[in-house]
Amino acid sequence: MLFFLTDLLVLGCINGIMVVGLNLQYGYSGLLNFAFYAFVAVGAYVAAVTTMGPPPSNFGVETYILQWSLPGPVGLLLGGLAAAAVGGLVFSFTVPRLRSDYLGIVTVAAAFIIWTFINNFIPLFDGANGLFGIPHIIGGTSLSTEEYSLVMAGLGVIILSAFIWASRRIFRSPYGRLLRATREDEVVVASLGRKAWHAQVWVYVAGCFMGGIAGGLYVFYLTAWDPNSFLPLESFFLMAALVIGGSGNYWGAVLGAFVILEGVNEVTRYVPTLGSSANAGSIRAIAIGILLILILRFRPAGLIPERWLHWYPRASSD
Amino acid sequence: MNALVVAIGFGLVTSAIVALAAVAVSLQISVTNFINFAYGDFMTFGAYVAWMADTHGVNFFVAVALGGIATGLLGVAANYLVFRPFMRRGVRPVTLLIAGLGVAFIVQNGIIILWGTDPQQFSVTIGDSLRVGPFLLTTGDLVIVAASVSLLALLHAMLRYTKFGKSLRALSNNLDLAQACGINVERMIAATWFICGILTAVAGVALVMEEGGLQPSVGFNELFVVFGAVILGGIGRPYGAMVGALVVGLMTEISAIYVNAAYKTAIAFGIVILLLLIRPQGIFTALGKTY
Repeated sequence: MLFFLTDLLVLGCINGIMVVGLNLQYGYSGLLNFAFYAFVAVGAYVAAVTTMGPPPSNFGVETYILQWSLPGPVGLLLGGLAAAAVGGLVFSFTVPRLRSDYLGIVTVAAAFIIWTFINNFIPLFDGANGLFGIPHIIGGTSLSTEEYSLVMAGLGVIILSAFIWASRRIFRSPYGRLLRATREDEVVVASLGRKAWHAQVWVYVAGCFMGGIAGGLYVFYLTAWDPNSFLPLESFFLMAALVIGGSGNYWGAVLGAFVILEGVNEVTRYVPTLGSSANAGSIRAIAIGILLILILRFRPAGLIPERWLHWYPRASSD
Repeated sequence: MNALVVAIGFGLVTSAIVALAAVAVSLQISVTNFINFAYGDFMTFGAYVAWMADTHGVNFFVAVALGGIATGLLGVAANYLVFRPFMRRGVRPVTLLIAGLGVAFIVQNGIIILWGTDPQQFSVTIGDSLRVGPFLLTTGDLVIVAASVSLLALLHAMLRYTKFGKSLRALSNNLDLAQACGINVERMIAATWFICGILTAVAGVALVMEEGGLQPSVGFNELFVVFGAVILGGIGRPYGAMVGALVVGLMTEISAIYVNAAYKTAIAFGIVILLLLIRPQGIFTALGKTY
């Protein structure tokens, strides 16, 4: 029972980090990113190849780059940085030039390209076979599954809290205001002599960093990773969770991750009358689809709207 | 050299399929002004309905027609239940994009629940390869190309020479003015969704015939190839989409000679990205124009 709860908490925290990262991008700047899971994957792969060392010689079928044996936390950080670097590369070209719905299409196309490349280019990350035997992030292999789950839950909560705090700082900073103002009306911002695209690129990079860290945590928890783990469709679920929870509000993002991604998953798993277990994933997706449309229609700001953040007491004297 | 000619032949077939879907997408965008992410799944839905009729012994062409009608009705239903309330409120295009995503979730997973994930086959196949001029094509390929060309010609005739087509062009040019002239805008939009549904379903069946297997993800995977053609031709310009489809179809098949065929679709996506980056202004100015 305890294992069930910690397992749920670990996955919830990992999803939470992803959606909080996506919230920096879509929630703050209003620009779509349907490729978020591709950056999660970059973080996961880099964290894996920098910590797992060379493949065991007795079945030397795995081929991948680097093959370093760094400590887990360093690998985690490198994964986040790699995701941020790839994000910077992709978005510094696209964000300044494209309107949001076209940016959405470009990100989907980019996600498909990254996926196809990783899936087919075997020397990079072992192609479609994927990586396995990834070490635990700390404590070697002496911990039991239950203990490790508890450690990861603690780590997940700490990192998620840190990222929520960072989101709050960005939200209240002048950059956050600039981003929100640009999201609402770009022309007004331009008339005041401000350009927001560099701030937009930076929140994209920060969001990708969070995605990469989430990917690293995920891969250390699962100890295996392959192209089926980051099908392009996953990014759409993250976007749905953010919109339902309340885009622009980091608490909304956390709610979306825990309730929509985790909660709906658990509920559909335990409703036996809905047919075979093979259909559980489909029922979950249909439920999310219906919920997404209803929320957009009747509560477009999401379950926890962004304006609730203004209820915080102000430090300054206004 | 010979490989190149053969690839051009395949490219023409791919173009014919992509053209059908791309013209449908473009026509819908020209009237409703938003990008529908559920289109790929509409293609899959049409193919599945046609497949079901086919397995029940209905003549293949009648089955395709049934698939077309079903997909047309699905489009009309999606418009009334989902998209119209948003459009009336005048939301940002991004909101409609995400709503379309919700529709895509529902349709794709509805298909999985109704028909399962096992790959299915139609009772007819595209036949054996024949030498047609310099190309290496099958009977099925020829039927697909002929069907695509005649459907698009029919659509052209309808847009150009009927009162309905004239209203549609007026509507895509200026919605308010069209309404002021007494055109029933709601009915025209519904009719557009229906027509696009028919084209989409035929494209879906043709796609399945070429790919060789019917699976719930088949349409969604092709969606961005179709978007590539739409963007290349100028968003919301059905005639441009035909040219765009020709370019995308030929480029993907010809590129398969020089690089690993697994990257074929990735190349189409690369074209989409490059185009949007290099010529965004050309795309934006084309919004809301039929031609």
